[in-house]
Amino acid sequence: MTITSSAPAGTDAPSRRGAPRPTRQRMTQHRRKEALLFYLFISPWVIGFLAFMAGPMLFSIYLSFTEWDTFTPPRWIGLENYTTLLFDDPVFRKVMFNTFFYSLISVPLGMGVSLFLANLLNKKIVLRKFFRTLVYLPHLIPLVAVALIFQMVLAPEAGPLNQMLSWVGITGPNWLMDPAWVKPALILMSLWQAGGGTILLLAGMNGIPKEFYEAAEIDGASGLQQFWTITFPQLTPVIFFNLIMGIIASFQVFAQVFILTEGGPDNASQMAVPMLFDEAFVFYNMGYGSAIAWILFVVIMVFTAIAFSTSGRWVFYETEVRR
Amino acid sequence: MRQRRTLDRRTLLSGTVAAAGAATVAGCGQIFAEAEIKEPDPSHTRFVMTVWGGEPDREAYQARVDLAQEQFPEYEIVLQLIPDANYAQKVQTMISSDTGPDIMQVAEDINVYSSRAQLVPLDEMIAEAGIDMERTFGDVREGYVFEGSTYGIPDRSGAAILYYNRDLFDDKGIEYPTGDWDWETFLAAATELTEGKEQFGFGGASWWPLWFSLIEQNGGHVVDPDTGLPQINSEEAVDALQWAQDLFFAHEVAPSEVDLSNMGPDMGPDGAFEQGLIAMNSTGFWAIGSLAEGDLNWDVAPFFRGREQAVSAFGSALTIPRSARNSRGSFEIIQFLTGVEGQGPIASRGQDVPANIDVQTSDTFLDPEWMDEDVDLEVFPNSADMISSRQFIPEWNQMQNTITDATATFWLGQRNAREMADDLQERLEAFIGPSSS
Repeated sequence: MTITSSAPAGTDAPSRRGAPRPTRQRMTQHRRKEALLFYLFISPWVIGFLAFMAGPMLFSIYLSFTEWDTFTPPRWIGLENYTTLLFDDPVFRKVMFNTFFYSLISVPLGMGVSLFLANLLNKKIVLRKFFRTLVYLPHLIPLVAVALIFQMVLAPEAGPLNQMLSWVGITGPNWLMDPAWVKPALILMSLWQAGGGTILLLAGMNGIPKEFYEAAEIDGASGLQQFWTITFPQLTPVIFFNLIMGIIASFQVFAQVFILTEGGPDNASQMAVPMLFDEAFVFYNMGYGSAIAWILFVVIMVFTAIAFSTSGRWVFYETEVRR
Repeated sequence: MRQRRTLDRRTLLSGTVAAAGAATVAGCGQIFAEAEIKEPDPSHTRFVMTVWGGEPDREAYQARVDLAQEQFPEYEIVLQLIPDANYAQKVQTMISSDTGPDIMQVAEDINVYSSRAQLVPLDEMIAEAGIDMERTFGDVREGYVFEGSTYGIPDRSGAAILYYNRDLFDDKGIEYPTGDWDWETFLAAATELTEGKEQFGFGGASWWPLWFSLIEQNGGHVVDPDTGLPQINSEEAVDALQWAQDLFFAHEVAPSEVDLSNMGPDMGPDGAFEQGLIAMNSTGFWAIGSLAEGDLNWDVAPFFRGREQAVSAFGSALTIPRSARNSRGSFEIIQFLTGVEGQGPIASRGQDVPANIDVQTSDTFLDPEWMDEDVDLEVFPNSADMISSRQFIPEWNQMQNTITDATATFWLGQRNAREMADDLQERLEAFIGPSSS
């Protein structure tokens, strides 16, 4: 309005009326081009998602209400798979307990170890880069190799871990064969790969303005106070990211169990996804397997939702403060 | 305006996802159709044959397929080798999508398929071809019969045998084992050959084919051969299981799981035997290949006997899945591959024990060029009569998994045979059905 009213005299009407148009036209073209590029680049993923994930996901909802051996036509059985799993399958109850146990201990413990390591590796020490590489290295080793290494590490008598325990008078357990110790063994193995989270936290630490620490030092804050009042709050977005990824990954733990213990002894280390795999592809109970998948999906969604709903209380986003 | 655009995008998104779901359902339309065995189509001349294994298996199978190709120049035979671990899932997917193979290798899980009408019954074609199944394959053929119909032609089949370390026997002055050894003779020798945790007399019998054999030797059954129902907690079965467990913890002549894990990662009785840490070990034919390449002074003998002679066999059969386009052609190829000429490369390349008795007793198998050692391969045909007939129940995979679960703590010595067998019986009955006895 201001622009048109302040147009110089003698400017013809159409150009006055159309004055904003060329600008909008250019913007639209630019946006269109941008949008086109966006769709172009995202299309492989979208097509892949729709063809290989969305469709099968929706289909698996239907399958979860059927009895289907993959060879003969599915038979509609309503909620039977779900009621059997929730109320009449002792193995599933054991498996869900194992999965919760693994997730609820390995995720916070892994995050704690990552934070501890990141804080150590953020200090100006000799060979810092070497140590950083060393911490990240286990994350790069294929899980099959890790499992073989841990078979050696956790060997009952000849294993280095129990050897070390014996130096201080402790008789180490049969880690992978004792139902009581097999889950802690898997958690121990997950901690060895905490380097992935450490690297993200280190990146986050590098992004914290040095002025904060200088000001804190002038005010006489100790190292611990600086950590809890500056480092930790500034890192909460990364910690939150690690938490969400950790929850999803830990509830879906598969390879470690599959390679190291095959769920044994007597399902003491069996987890939800390996059980799902067995039911669907070994016992040919695809409907039952689908129901396990959807129960697991709901569990992961609930935990993720809890994490998101509480994040407002403890996750600190600098951009939100600025706004 | 803006709100409407957002709504449109959402509608578009949900519509697209719904369309993807509908497309998937439509694409999976095959699964809603009842599986039917196709009428043989003589114009279909391309045959896909699926087998499992590693590189030596590929070479042996390809050599056999090449021979079949020469025999049937009008056919194109394509070998598809799938790694062991993925085989069942891969063929499951192929069959489900009606793109299954024309010839398929199966083993103990044959009735997973035949009980679901996924295999072509072969009796009519066997009769037409005039194959004498009993004379050609012996009792092994019974494993591939389900509810009176034959679904597989035996292709590879060898009994579990006893490998022994000649040097360790010579050191102790003990005579080499024979098929006449009973449990007592065997235990006495194993005890003599054991030296604390440094050397064990026997590799143990915690692997299912071995303790299945012991139960059969004691007059019991894991699964009733007539009814297919579990019988694991019979007196005969429990006694045999307790004897097998005692080898580890009472007599200490076999390395427990703990002992083996202390020997190295992924160490089993086979590896420990190859390293000279075990004097006797029972397993299948496949150990021969690696032993023949090593320095160990070894030989083989039939598996020892109990009250009766019985031993598990390892093997596989060739079947025709319902998806086969030309089942007649598939059968012609199978007939050739399981005949004398088609079985030749199994023996001459040292891949396995050929199921065809004529080949199993021929010089091609008994005195092969690839074997430099003085090893008595006649042990395989000599063990053929000892092989216990077994019913491969349709719930075979689930049964194996349940057995692994229920016996885990038993083989660690944490409960006795009676407790374990009662527990296992209950678990098996939950999905197979209650025993009539």
